[in-house]
Amino acid sequence: MTDQSTIAPDRPSGAETPGRRTGARRPPGSLELLVAGMAVLLAGQYWAGDWLDTPGVEAWATVFVAICVQALPFLVLGTLLSAVITALVPASFLERALPKRPALAVPVAGLAGAVLPGCECASVPVADGLIARGVAPAAALAFLLSAPAINPVVLTATAVAFPGRPEMVLARFAASLATAVVVGWLWARFGRPEWLRPSVRRTQPAGAGRWTAFRAAFAHEFLHAGGFLVVGGITAATLNVVVPRQLLGGLAHLPGLSVLVPALLAVVLAVCSEADAFVAASLSAFPLAARLAFMVVGPMVDVKLVAMQAGTFGWSFAWRFSSTTFTVAVAASALAGWWLL
Amino acid sequence: MKREVQAMLLVLLGSAALRISLFSDTYLRYVRRALGPYLVAAGVVLVALGAVSAVAALRGSRDEDAEGTEDAGGDEEQHEGHGHGPGEGHGHGEGDGHGHGPRIAWLLVLPVATIFLVSPPALGSYTAQRAASAVTKPATAAAGFPALPAGDPLVLPLAEFDVRALWDTSRPLAGRRVRLLGFATPKSGGGWYVTRLVISCCAADALAYKAEIRGAAAPPPGSWVEVTGVWQPDGQPARPDAVPALTAAQVVPVPQPRDPYE
Repeated sequence: MTDQSTIAPDRPSGAETPGRRTGARRPPGSLELLVAGMAVLLAGQYWAGDWLDTPGVEAWATVFVAICVQALPFLVLGTLLSAVITALVPASFLERALPKRPALAVPVAGLAGAVLPGCECASVPVADGLIARGVAPAAALAFLLSAPAINPVVLTATAVAFPGRPEMVLARFAASLATAVVVGWLWARFGRPEWLRPSVRRTQPAGAGRWTAFRAAFAHEFLHAGGFLVVGGITAATLNVVVPRQLLGGLAHLPGLSVLVPALLAVVLAVCSEADAFVAASLSAFPLAARLAFMVVGPMVDVKLVAMQAGTFGWSFAWRFSSTTFTVAVAASALAGWWLL
Repeated sequence: MKREVQAMLLVLLGSAALRISLFSDTYLRYVRRALGPYLVAAGVVLVALGAVSAVAALRGSRDEDAEGTEDAGGDEEQHEGHGHGPGEGHGHGEGDGHGHGPRIAWLLVLPVATIFLVSPPALGSYTAQRAASAVTKPATAAAGFPALPAGDPLVLPLAEFDVRALWDTSRPLAGRRVRLLGFATPKSGGGWYVTRLVISCCAADALAYKAEIRGAAAPPPGSWVEVTGVWQPDGQPARPDAVPALTAAQVVPVPQPRDPYE
């Protein structure tokens, strides 16, 4: 993920002698590349028309666009919130709002997740903004996990998808919050700061106005997270089209696998947390605890999210964090399912 | 990636969002109707911020040409990104400062190009054929369903038809003429279904509802039809993966509805 190759051509003129950079001497830059790329794509439309008509490719393109379009408003909202936190909310406010000790700050931040009405795409940039503002990473990560899982919109959708089963809503809330808090505590105890790559955006230009800082923070973070969203969208769309769901029904009755299969399915399908309750309700071959696992894992670990977390915090963070969260989430769902359902 | 390009990408993404939500109904192929206003808002925000950034970037580079490092906002950012001054040590292998956006952002061209150039159609028979049928028993089933509305033929959403046929023990469909709207999906081993996909958030979570059509020749797969006929109970025990059947009296080709999902 180094950007050295794109920087290199500009470096001599841009960094050392900025005044000498004139239009005539500049090598073709990314703007020209973008325009040329669009022209090639436009021309390519004609010869690409044939294989694009294949039903499988068409379905893939539809699901890919759907995932991106669906995530876009939430990503804009999350990035705006993050940019507002970074540029406008004073660090002292957040310090006062959260308990000093991480052991206490983690559950408070986990509960605070209930107020962000969005899906998981919004919570990654917001958590990044919180860390940038000096919130303890453990608390910000608990917020990152709980926000898409226990907000009112998601819980209402769960109640609608499982009518007459309020215990399902309760189980989802309890298992999700427990997972977020436990993973937050695990990070506070075992996490190492060097796993968490600091965001570049944190360097505030001296002398720049708040508005400029806000705009720069937004553009950078949105484009960054958006790029990784596309990686996640490509992966999710491919798995969505390639993995036959009927095959999974056959795995429902294997002992021990019944909780694990929907949990893995949640990782693979990357369904938005506002809709996953309906998909979970349709997995009627599986017991309720297994469908609960689908809903607890889905908002916290899926291919789209892992890609976005890797983009924001780095790969060495993403794989450790996601595998831990997956394990804790499956255990919490099994426990909640045994206890409440 | 330069600031001009970042700005242009923001504008492009925003206009793609506006193109499918504000200037057409295309977004209904991908997401649920309720997301429409949010898409418009996101598109407006992106276009506006992109335009402002573009103006600032252009003005910045002009100032730069004229006076060197006069512009406080944009240019200082750029220098920090190169590892000068207080920004040093924060780059950590990332290498992209403020002036240079992340390289990964180039991927955003993909959905934009797909929307503008390919404009993929709504999911259809390919997806329906591969989706398992799952008509879950509603919790209200035990308390009894409300009476079906009057009308002959009775126009029903396909999901409602499936639920009533499988789970309503008062059998209100028996002998009623119903009219269903959906697209044709071939049944493996001969015959066909009229099918409708239901999405709750986006096309990635589509569920298929089907009714087997008997007594009528199969239309081309994926074509939209309006089927009028009578429910044909098979006397099988109700199961979520069962598919109810309809003996068709009439199959009329119709255009695809504005919102292809139910």
